[in-house]
Amino acid sequence: MRDYARRLAGSQETGLVAVLFAATMALTLLAGSHLDRASGISINNFWNSHTLVQTATDASFFAIMAIGATMVIIAGGIDLSVGSIYALSGVGMALALRGTAPASGGAALATGLTTALGIGLLCGFLNGVLVVGLRVHPFIITLGTMWILRGIAFVATKAESILVPASLTSITKASLGLGGGLFPVPMLAMLALALIGTIYLARTVMGRHIFAFGGNPEASRYAGLSPARIQIGVFVVSGLTAGLAAFLGASFYGSASSGDAQGYELYVIASAVVGGASLTGGKGSALGATLGALLIVLIRQSIRTLHFDQNYEWIVIGCAIIIAVVVDRWTMSMTQRRFNFGTGRSA
Amino acid sequence: MTPPAVRFEGVSKRFPGVVALSDVTLDIARGSCHALCGENGAGKSTLGKMLAGIHAPDTGRMFVNGAEVRFTSPRDALAAGVGMVHQELSLCENMSVAENLCLSDIPRRGGFVAGEAMEQRAREMLALIGADLDVSQRVGELPIARRQIVQIAAAVGSGARVLVFDEPTSSLSQADAERLYELIARLRGDGVTCIYVSHRMPEVFHLCDTITVLRDGAVVGTKSAAELDESAVVQMMIGRALGVNAVREGVRGGEERLRVEGLTAPGKFEDVSFSLHAGEIVGLAGLVGAGRSEIAAALFGLDRHSQGHIYIDGKDVDIRTPAHAIRLGLGLVPEDRKRQALVPLETSVRNASLAVLTRLTRLTWVRRRAERTMVDEYFRRLRVKPAAAAAPIASLSGGTQQKVVLARWLAAQSRVLILDEPTRGVDVGAKAEIHALIAEVAASGTAVLLISSELPELLALSMRIFTVRGGRIVGRLERSEASEESLLRQMAGIA
Ligand SMILES: Nc1ncnc2c1ncn2[C@@H]1O[C@H](COP(=O)(O)OP(=O)(O)OP(=O)(O)O)[C@@H](O)[C@H]1O
Ligand SMILES: [Mg+2]
Repeated sequence: MRDYARRLAGSQETGLVAVLFAATMALTLLAGSHLDRASGISINNFWNSHTLVQTATDASFFAIMAIGATMVIIAGGIDLSVGSIYALSGVGMALALRGTAPASGGAALATGLTTALGIGLLCGFLNGVLVVGLRVHPFIITLGTMWILRGIAFVATKAESILVPASLTSITKASLGLGGGLFPVPMLAMLALALIGTIYLARTVMGRHIFAFGGNPEASRYAGLSPARIQIGVFVVSGLTAGLAAFLGASFYGSASSGDAQGYELYVIASAVVGGASLTGGKGSALGATLGALLIVLIRQSIRTLHFDQNYEWIVIGCAIIIAVVVDRWTMSMTQRRFNFGTGRSA
Repeated sequence: MTPPAVRFEGVSKRFPGVVALSDVTLDIARGSCHALCGENGAGKSTLGKMLAGIHAPDTGRMFVNGAEVRFTSPRDALAAGVGMVHQELSLCENMSVAENLCLSDIPRRGGFVAGEAMEQRAREMLALIGADLDVSQRVGELPIARRQIVQIAAAVGSGARVLVFDEPTSSLSQADAERLYELIARLRGDGVTCIYVSHRMPEVFHLCDTITVLRDGAVVGTKSAAELDESAVVQMMIGRALGVNAVREGVRGGEERLRVEGLTAPGKFEDVSFSLHAGEIVGLAGLVGAGRSEIAAALFGLDRHSQGHIYIDGKDVDIRTPAHAIRLGLGLVPEDRKRQALVPLETSVRNASLAVLTRLTRLTWVRRRAERTMVDEYFRRLRVKPAAAAAPIASLSGGTQQKVVLARWLAAQSRVLILDEPTRGVDVGAKAEIHALIAEVAASGTAVLLISSELPELLALSMRIFTVRGGRIVGRLERSEASEESLLRQMAGIA
């Protein structure tokens, strides 16, 4: 029981949920309301289904990538190439769809999803193999592939934006019975992936190996784990989530171009870090990364809703990242002290 | 005739710049406990690591139970029934004891971790070596001696038939060491073959039936323990007899350098008071976890929650950071060199000069020649091989690393020097030299606080010995009154 309480109180997610909740409340109170012309009811400018789903959708694309990237970070690495993988997967899929011109929505879905995920997987595999094979730090390798992959996307499209068939858009923009111009598919995908990622990291043997390797690579090797498998594995997962995000993004917005998701890698890393991942490895969570992404988007949204000057967005996000990490460490040491105090020594 | 459990045949290994092993041929008889002795850097750990699949030999062959083996990873070695307790702690500090113990083979149901089964298995592994730990605790929260126990449990519990113990007792308390001796006896009874590396001669003779001495990577000789005695082994190790270093008496009655009054850190130690005079060596005895290292940390400004008064040269000071402590003339050789002392990728010279760089600069330029001269002097006295000076410290043997850390604080010429297990993992020859150096430093007017789990070391050097138990000073003895027995009683709390 105490164990459970300790874990709950000490977990980053609890704090993040509290912060998200507080931010949502504050925003709702401050947002004011407007009259809905059709029904004549007063509607809160933030707390309405449209804005809420819109905010979650905005977050979902890089939240999904952040879930994969968090695994790389937990394993002690970093993936700067996710934005480029997104762009390459997006245009690859759009080109494949244009080339095959699938007749039905189902065929478009199959072709689109396989190409996007396939390209993501290949790019992630490439990252992993380069890191393991060349023994170069992931920062350098993915800094390189970040340029290379986007360059390939650029060359392949001749810098044009490529349309995605409407049949596909109608799938990712399915209202699922919500109606009223609400498109919940990306949001649901994000939630599902957060759940899968959390279970994967916390409950599977591979997840445990990722934490062990990030915590102490040498000890993991001594214990008989395979560093190559773990490193390639996390990059593949990261590539796959970027591919999935690209699939959702390109089909949602109806087109893909080599300039998509530029700078996303920083949003992705920021989400992971705000969500409690440690850049030195061995710490982080999928749920945390998702919440981190939501928090960042919420900050962005609040600037819009409250009609602040949009130019302040970056400053505010930058501050939020630093504050989040400091608060995290502070609460960690607080809970640790509270629970260690008076337990005495065992020897 | 049954083949030996392990056979090395003409094995060599070189690292960039050094030959760690050259043409080693050695048989380890099945069911024996075979000691590897040698100076720091002689190649003992390297030999063990080859058998454990961490390094591959450059040339030569290895046989386990008569069959040739070529390990490319520790996984292969585990599969062939070889386990190793490493000299340097190698655990994942962000994970629990159970996870660390089961890391090489996490119990699973489908692809999922079977948490209950894992904890159960971990408890069994600990029970097997007679240890009792909370398996759900994070390893990073454990003191170093407990971590060592986790490591032993991991190796023994893997079911290996050949076990390499690389200085397993260097960070254990006496009681835990005794338990390890019993464990090894039990393992041998079950037919397990042990290879035992240690600098502690008494335990080598207590445990082992055969002794191989290595020097500079080559086998000097292999003899049965019955044919040898301590001085003969030392002679083989260092190629000469060990000169008796008369430990010089410090000067008693110097002025007071450090006085501690009512020092308390909640949950760690309570109401600690003592004083330390110039020229004096005061020993702190106690079991591991008694709070000795925590006291040292608080004195050095590493514990922000400690209360009480610290006087240096009679002045009441409030030490908040190590930098402040150093400015006040304190020095600390910490307990855990890997985590608390080393900058792994820097050279030995740079590691050694780290605390005194400001003294070696001219307008922020480091005077490299002065740095080298100063460091070389201490390296010479500590018998650090010249080749080691320019090497990254992570590539050096454990004992050599310890010498570099000592050099750092000897060079700092602190007025109050706190030594926490200063000879951990150091070979016998160098140990005598270090003892002489400590005595000399004290004789020159430094006040020394010596924490050691080796009672002979405490008794040889200290003028007064305080015993710490459960975070309190429970005994104060003059050297003339102290004996191993009286200290052990105080440490364990038997009146
Ligand atoms: N990974 C490495 N890279 C480079 N050199 C190494 C490496 N490991 C060991 N060496 C070198 O090999 C030699 C033998 O080292 P080893 O660790 O086997 O010594 P040891 O006998 O175990 O000493 P100690 O008693 O201090 O533990 C040393 O000169 C050391 O510097
Ligand atoms: Mg060694």
